[in-house]
Amino acid sequence: MIAIDRDESALRAALLPLETPAGLRAGILRTVRRRTAGGLTAPRFDVTASTDGVALVRLGAGEVAGPTARARGWAAAAQEQLAEYLAGERSFFTVPLDLHALAPFQRAVLDATRRIPFGEVRPYAWVAARIGKARAVRAVGTALGTNPVPLLIPCHRVLRSDGNLGGYGFGLPLKSRLLDLERETPTLVGCTTTKIVCRRGCPHGRRVSPDREVVFASVQDARSVGYRPCRECRPA
Amino acid sequence: MRTAPRLAPAARREPGAPADAALLRRIARGDGPAFTALVERYERRFYTVARRMLGHDGDAEDAVQLTFLRVLLKAKTYRDDWQGSTWLYRVLANVCIDACRKRRHESGAPAVPEPARDERGVERLDLEAGLRRLPTEARVILLLCYAEDLSYGEVARVRGVSINTVKTQLRRAKQLMRRYLKGDDT
Repeated sequence: MIAIDRDESALRAALLPLETPAGLRAGILRTVRRRTAGGLTAPRFDVTASTDGVALVRLGAGEVAGPTARARGWAAAAQEQLAEYLAGERSFFTVPLDLHALAPFQRAVLDATRRIPFGEVRPYAWVAARIGKARAVRAVGTALGTNPVPLLIPCHRVLRSDGNLGGYGFGLPLKSRLLDLERETPTLVGCTTTKIVCRRGCPHGRRVSPDREVVFASVQDARSVGYRPCRECRPA
Repeated sequence: MRTAPRLAPAARREPGAPADAALLRRIARGDGPAFTALVERYERRFYTVARRMLGHDGDAEDAVQLTFLRVLLKAKTYRDDWQGSTWLYRVLANVCIDACRKRRHESGAPAVPEPARDERGVERLDLEAGLRRLPTEARVILLLCYAEDLSYGEVARVRGVSINTVKTQLRRAKQLMRRYLKGDDT
């Protein structure tokens, strides 16, 4: 057993560098090639909103539609937030959604899916259990497959229990890309000058220059080193 | 998980080899060999920190890959008022800490390293088990100070905190480790 004495020499001696696993360097270079080689153009979406919120997101030419100016404003805001999300600058959406036209079962599935945090994944069976219908795994898949507001409700974060991607309305390559993007985008970001922690995408956090940005694992961790949560985006 | 002899900080690069800052500037201009040289220089150090932060071989490899990807993509934002290594460790710490957050939520429990079993036996198991009891901030600061030999000032800059906070977190980390290794921790 090591002793942590006053001059910490034992601790320093015990924390020897580790041998790198074979293939790490090849993995690094492969990752870099894959992520920097083309194919990174962001998809564009047509967004339709009702008087209650955004009701439909579809791949398209980047158009917005709605019966009132307010609805079109929501659709435009959704489009802007989607673009920020795809650029790795946003981890949450603030536009209201209109799911009234959906059947209660699909609404319950989408409500449960909406609670899966950014950067994480859950199996279809988790969603089924969450809505109290543990045996309805296939029906959950169908409900997610007809999600009218993909990305805003993150059905791409639901995978098969064996880790396979399952399905996706916009195609599996995009699902895989979205999961990569979320894995690579830090969520809880602090500013080293203001000592304020924001969720990625908060208007206050967006003004922070890259070299003033530190990432935290939780608000509690941030508080422990003198940071406070933003009052605007209220990170939990 | 096998260990290797510690490299003195001065031995991190060969005599006459370009400084980290120079490599970063070349990477920003799209110089591939400079990127490879940086990977060769830092992959083991980054892996050591990531493995001890995340406690899992696969997660540590992912974190190191992601760190180098970010270095490549963000090299243009590197500014000369940063020491190259401090900037690089900031990128690494940010990636590892975000990975801790995502794993903590996924498992519903704090992200802690799994015990690593190797030929060093009990001593290493104690150390790894002690490390996984530490809060994330205390753990990263302890590793940067004692495994990577960064100065308090460098660690403070990496984590965006004051030097006093670094000292406080280190004291806290050592207290927790000491308590655990004495068997007081339940």
